[in-house]
Amino acid sequence: MSDSHEVISAFLDDEPFDSNALAQALSEPSGRELLIDLLALRHLVRTEGKEASALTAPTSWRSSLRALVAVAALVVALVGGYLVGERRRESVMSAAPSATRVVQAPAAWKDVPSGRMP
Amino acid sequence: MTVDPAALFAAHQHRLFKYFCRAVGPDTARDLTQDVFLRVSRATIPVAADEEVRAWLFHIARNLALDHHRARLRRPEPSPLAEEGSRLATQDVDLAVNEALAALPDLDRDVFLMREVVGLGYDEIGRACGLTPDAVRSRIHRARLQLRERLASPIAMRRTIPMRHSGRHT
Repeated sequence: MSDSHEVISAFLDDEPFDSNALAQALSEPSGRELLIDLLALRHLVRTEGKEASALTAPTSWRSSLRALVAVAALVVALVGGYLVGERRRESVMSAAPSATRVVQAPAAWKDVPSGRMP
Repeated sequence: MTVDPAALFAAHQHRLFKYFCRAVGPDTARDLTQDVFLRVSRATIPVAADEEVRAWLFHIARNLALDHHRARLRRPEPSPLAEEGSRLATQDVDLAVNEALAALPDLDRDVFLMREVVGLGYDEIGRACGLTPDAVRSRIHRARLQLRERLASPIAMRRTIPMRHSGRHT
């Protein structure tokens, strides 16, 4: 590939280029093929870059997950505590009164005035 | 006026990591990205335009990548890329891309990655690598032609998928 095709690289990179030279380069089928191939190459290289970046993601992903788990645990604890409290309150309100023993006074029962023993 | 090393690093660490992923591989990329931070924190950061500072940062990054390559040459390790051979190269496009990049001359690979992966302009790359913008353009183009040849098959496959032109890297 001739150096005249360098202008295609400059065009791809948004660098200053000679528009006449670019027109000349793209007037040839080889120049047009090169342009498309270089775009495809760019996609190949950058796509992998994204995947490589994903390699660093576990750190932030894990910390986010940790925070999420902590929040979830807090919510579960709060809701659980509330439900347990509610259940206890209901059981206290609906429970039967504690058993009492009624003792009948015997027939011979006499009230004795206080302070005087028989 | 001083530049906060942590702020500078935070602004560029993602790009540095992407550069290292391609230049030395993802396994070492994180370590070298941290090494850049260490060097930046010990250095006097130039008070200059953003482009100059970015070029300075990638000059450091490039030196670290070169040191890594030199150390690996002195102490050769079995390269997973070489071991796996063509079997995976045909199956795994990413591996093929990495192999093709590894086959480029160091300087050509660096200018290509700084442009294509990091998104630096020719001026910035020139400052980072000690080249003129014209030399950068020539080297990037030469790298592209070599990669095009080596990656003919993945490129042909990629051409069948819709593409979009995005000159400036985001």
